[in-house]
Amino acid sequence: MLVVKCPVCGAEGDETDFHAGGQAHVRRPASHDPAHVSDEEQRDYLFIRINPKGLHFERWRCDRGCGKWFHAARDTVTLEFKAFYGITELPPADVIAEAKGQWAEYFAKRLKAEKQA
Amino acid sequence: MSELSHESPLAGVTPPPGLSVSLREITDRGMIDLRGHGSDQAFLSAVKGALGLDLPLRPRTSAGSDDLRVLWLSMDQWLILCPRTKAAEILAALRSALTGVHSLAVDVSDMRAVIRIEGGGCREVLMKGTSLDLLDAEYRPGCCRRMRFAEIAALLSVVEDNVFDVYVFRSYARYAWDFVCATAREPARVRLFGAQDAPA
Amino acid sequence: MSKPYRLSAGGSRIDRNRRVSFSFDGRQLTGFAGDTLASAVSAAGQRVFGRSFKYHRPRGVVGLGAEEMNALVGVGEGARHEPNLRATQVEIHDGLTAVSQNRWPSLTFDIGAVNNTFSRFIPGGFYYKTFMWPASFWKHVYEPFIRRAAGLGKAPEGRDPDSYEQIHVHCDVLVVGAGVAGLAAAEAAAKAGARVIIADENPVFGGLADISGGAIDGLAQADWALAKARTLASAENVHVLNRTTVVGHWHHNFLMLFERVADHDPARLRTGAPRHRLWKVRAHQVILATGAIERPIAFANNDRPGIMLASAARGMVERYGVAPGASGVLFTNNDDAYQTALVLKAAGVAVRVVDSRARADGPLPAKAREQGIPVDAGSVISAVNTSFGGLSVTDVRIASYRKGQGRVIKETRAACDFVAMSGGWNPALHLWCHNGGKIRFDDQLQTYRPDRHADRITAVGAANGSFTLASILEEASAAGSRLAGSGNVHPVPAVMQAGQQPMEPIWFAPATGKYNEGNKHFIDFQNDVTAADLELAQREGYESVEHTKRYTTFGMATDQGKTSNLNGLGVLSEATGKPIPEIGVTTFRPPYTPFSFGSMAGVLTKDLFLPIRRTAIFNWHTAQGAVFEPVGQWRRAYTYPRAGEDNHAAIAREILAVRNKVGLLDASTLGKIEIRGPDAAEFLDRMYTNVFSTLKVGKCRYGLMMNELGFLTDDGVTVRLAEDHFLMHTTSGGADRIAAWLEEWLQTEWTHYRVFVTPVTEQWSQFAIAGPRARDVLKKLAPSFDLSNEALPHMSFVEGRLGACPVRVFRISFSGELSYEVATPSGFGLGLWKAIIEAGAEFGLEPYGTEALHVLRAEKGYIVVGDETDGTTTPVDVGLDGLVSKKKADFIGKRSLEQSYLKGPNRKQLVGLLTEDPGEVLPDGAYAVRQVKDKPPMEMIGQVTSSYRSPTLGRSIAMALIENGRARMGETLSFPLPGGKVVRATITDTVFYDKEGAKLNV
Repeated sequence: MLVVKCPVCGAEGDETDFHAGGQAHVRRPASHDPAHVSDEEQRDYLFIRINPKGLHFERWRCDRGCGKWFHAARDTVTLEFKAFYGITELPPADVIAEAKGQWAEYFAKRLKAEKQA
Repeated sequence: MSELSHESPLAGVTPPPGLSVSLREITDRGMIDLRGHGSDQAFLSAVKGALGLDLPLRPRTSAGSDDLRVLWLSMDQWLILCPRTKAAEILAALRSALTGVHSLAVDVSDMRAVIRIEGGGCREVLMKGTSLDLLDAEYRPGCCRRMRFAEIAALLSVVEDNVFDVYVFRSYARYAWDFVCATAREPARVRLFGAQDAPA
Repeated sequence: MSKPYRLSAGGSRIDRNRRVSFSFDGRQLTGFAGDTLASAVSAAGQRVFGRSFKYHRPRGVVGLGAEEMNALVGVGEGARHEPNLRATQVEIHDGLTAVSQNRWPSLTFDIGAVNNTFSRFIPGGFYYKTFMWPASFWKHVYEPFIRRAAGLGKAPEGRDPDSYEQIHVHCDVLVVGAGVAGLAAAEAAAKAGARVIIADENPVFGGLADISGGAIDGLAQADWALAKARTLASAENVHVLNRTTVVGHWHHNFLMLFERVADHDPARLRTGAPRHRLWKVRAHQVILATGAIERPIAFANNDRPGIMLASAARGMVERYGVAPGASGVLFTNNDDAYQTALVLKAAGVAVRVVDSRARADGPLPAKAREQGIPVDAGSVISAVNTSFGGLSVTDVRIASYRKGQGRVIKETRAACDFVAMSGGWNPALHLWCHNGGKIRFDDQLQTYRPDRHADRITAVGAANGSFTLASILEEASAAGSRLAGSGNVHPVPAVMQAGQQPMEPIWFAPATGKYNEGNKHFIDFQNDVTAADLELAQREGYESVEHTKRYTTFGMATDQGKTSNLNGLGVLSEATGKPIPEIGVTTFRPPYTPFSFGSMAGVLTKDLFLPIRRTAIFNWHTAQGAVFEPVGQWRRAYTYPRAGEDNHAAIAREILAVRNKVGLLDASTLGKIEIRGPDAAEFLDRMYTNVFSTLKVGKCRYGLMMNELGFLTDDGVTVRLAEDHFLMHTTSGGADRIAAWLEEWLQTEWTHYRVFVTPVTEQWSQFAIAGPRARDVLKKLAPSFDLSNEALPHMSFVEGRLGACPVRVFRISFSGELSYEVATPSGFGLGLWKAIIEAGAEFGLEPYGTEALHVLRAEKGYIVVGDETDGTTTPVDVGLDGLVSKKKADFIGKRSLEQSYLKGPNRKQLVGLLTEDPGEVLPDGAYAVRQVKDKPPMEMIGQVTSSYRSPTLGRSIAMALIENGRARMGETLSFPLPGGKVVRATITDTVFYDKEGAKLNV
């Protein structure tokens, strides 16, 4: 059983006091331009997820604490949490630097987009 | 209907004999659930104006006195405890002070049951139901936090060193009560980290 | 026979002044306080403790503690019976009853033992090869046979009368094992100020200190251990747990400790103490001081009763004053086992040593020779001869041996009645491996040692492959200080211990006679796997050790390979010519030793098995004789049968009361959520399929919720309390889920919305007063508000008082009748309920339950999310397209409704059904088929979602999801039922009663 720490209120405890909410950083296309969401975009939003061996990014809720959602970076092999960070935030830079494969691509794209904006 | 009769969640329930802690229901507690942003100065000062005290902003702490105490529930949620007879008046004062301020104050005096567990070893009894480390220094009087207790959600409030209030949703009152009775039996007492007999 | 094996003196664990009587297989026996079942039964001269799993060979005690794989017994009678306990760990007490297992009809004569005679037909993988064909034999022939033949013990009968419990504890350092290493580590950690738990499965701390020579700080090891145990027990920051097995290690240093609180002490059990307690421990650091387990040697027929581990023979003498026999042979490949020879000799038991090493001239062998113990170096045991039936050893053959030699050349015979064996020691790595710890092979020790681990866990002492006292104490103390966060190194005491020469592995001892003819070299005793089975698996192509394990079941028994694992790898190594590290290792899984189901359940049994939610009216319902039904965790009144009434009659009566007079329903379980803020209306527009921003203050609106997939997930009525303030009702089962759902979207997607959401479900008791006389009833309760249809029309809301009682009144209806839902703070709930019952009496008011509620709504064609929907049903499917906004740009699930797979032509659509025979009630879930055939498969085109007998209409009604249902109005469908009957029903509209809604707006 994992030990999870809420970055919002600082509560630390068994995973049974928390609620796992699946993959982090999934973008809901309809929130941005509801009239122009392709079938493929919607399919990817609903069903396509990254399933890495190694560093992964997830959503959790402090279910039996402050009730707030937050993000976690977790190694799916060692189960070590590398970081807990806010629900509207990106992971710390050093953790992003460790991301591999699809996650590395995601963050590179996202950081580039943010720089442009 | 002319007369008003009020029944507490555990009305008519008494603790069985042979418990290692004392157990009772607190029935006269008024409760107000208050939502607002801890970062919103207008909200904080309006609440202070209505209650006469500062909301506790540090997670898992409480503020106030026996008559009026505020438990921190989240960065934007508090539970105000008062005598049941005062709840309506305090709620009205709060709502009036908070006019125009983004907030939500609701009387929830009947939503939860409050079980008081008192006596030496009550931390160990509670630890049969929660994975929180109640021996940690954080759990000193004034501390409060939500938790998973047995199989349900509960709110724990440390009143004194060996006095705890457990708040559970009203419908679960009997379940929580029975759970505490089952784990608090004297023959099942556990004394953690004290002097023990050596294993022979 | 009267205690022929109890020595006249000795036995550090027993109290010869306290006799204990117990029974084994019905035989009354006497032992001493402190005896284990194994020692006490052995003292009485009995060797055989059970029959083996597959071959039913007689088996005796092999080990000293947890490693015991043969002597599994059932303890206790009736409901208190517990099977599969290791006799070496069962402490006897007066009145204890124990039975052997896996034998029929008796231990000494066992019919299943023919399996042994025919064992050449039961090779490795036997089950896979034999019980395969024909498939029809599986259920009725093979499975019962395998189950009967394979049973290990019997489950208890009846309800367990004892109590069990669990507790959660956190500590800085958990020390597993209280041998010399564990005690030293715990002391150092405690001195550094850490909060320490030290747990050991045995009643006495010290591990094997009492049977290992040498001294610490000038004290015998056992005395040193006793002193340390006392110090630790008295410390304020240490919790000591004996009789407590750490059964498993999981992620982030979560461990479960199984404490046997009262098994050994029936008096304590009688006072009400829990029998077992499961500790759920979260440790910052874990120190594994789990010691090592001695290896058996694979020699021919090494499983005969009377053949045991050298440490077990030594422990039997030193701890319990029991001789393993009158004369024995010690078979070893290491110096350590010579201690056993010396102990036996000192106790007056004749012994000779067979050592597979070419030379045995370390200090211990030298001492043995000095004592006159014959030592045959460069020799092995090549045969074991037994009395008839293999019940006891009569003699062994000793053959000369050179390492690598596979056959017997020259033999001598030695009479003996027991054999002690030692193939060296394996660190007990189980807990290290439970959660992914890596291990590495040590060439010198010829065993695996801990390597890397992702968790904060450290192995010390023998568990880490350190076997000398000095190294054990040094690394244990250092680890204790370091892991407690102290920079100071705890001083290491001085030690005295005899030196030892290296061991030499022997994985397979050559045997007399032809290979595998009556010769079984057992590797896994508990699952009856021999060296030949492993070699056969190898020849059959099972190259991966993981495959070999599953094929032969080697290492898969309840002992999880404690004694067998490395020997098996050794055999595979020799069979393949690959070094052991290249063979690979199998996984040790939790638990280390089995623990009780009682402890897993703890107090969560009977009334506490499941949390039950009760409304404020629960006791009233109960007193009225209500039948309850579960709705989520709630218990809701299903119906209120009167004397002489069955449920059907009661439900019909309740329905007609609502239709013709007035009824009262406890609807308190409905979810209630307050939603407030400047963006509350816009937020609700996102959550619901229909529009809420246009709702007027004081008005109610029914809303539908989808998930992002476009499927219905909840529904309910929401009222606008103020411009920026709403009260949402959800389904009873959806209350918590929907509150969390709203929070999730506010926190994660529309973070700019200024909205607060507070669930208030349990603040309110809520009742539906429904029926033509509902207004009359309320009027009698002195309402502070105008109840007229003009002032309070359908779908409107008012807050006020009924007499003195504060209420919120919603004029909403789930029955199609004039109906008010009245909510009051829960504390007033029962009082108001009783007042309504009283006021309603003159109007014929009756309380009605959830079944009447369901029939009433079905008569009106109202859906229930979860009945008419199944998680793949859209609002369009159930005919509620009108509630799906076309104007709103976005709301949850909207975009998914446009996906091609939800717009296909053959969606199932909700329709009404009327059976041809009005008395016939279709079963819920009955399938409609395209064409009825003699037998399945038949093509299914839909299913019944709700089906009732309608007393209002005097006939049955149903709803169903049918492919293209709305285009099939008037069509008659067939519903084949189990048993061959076919029910025919015609598709209709879903509204069966008061289609115009005339009864609502009165």
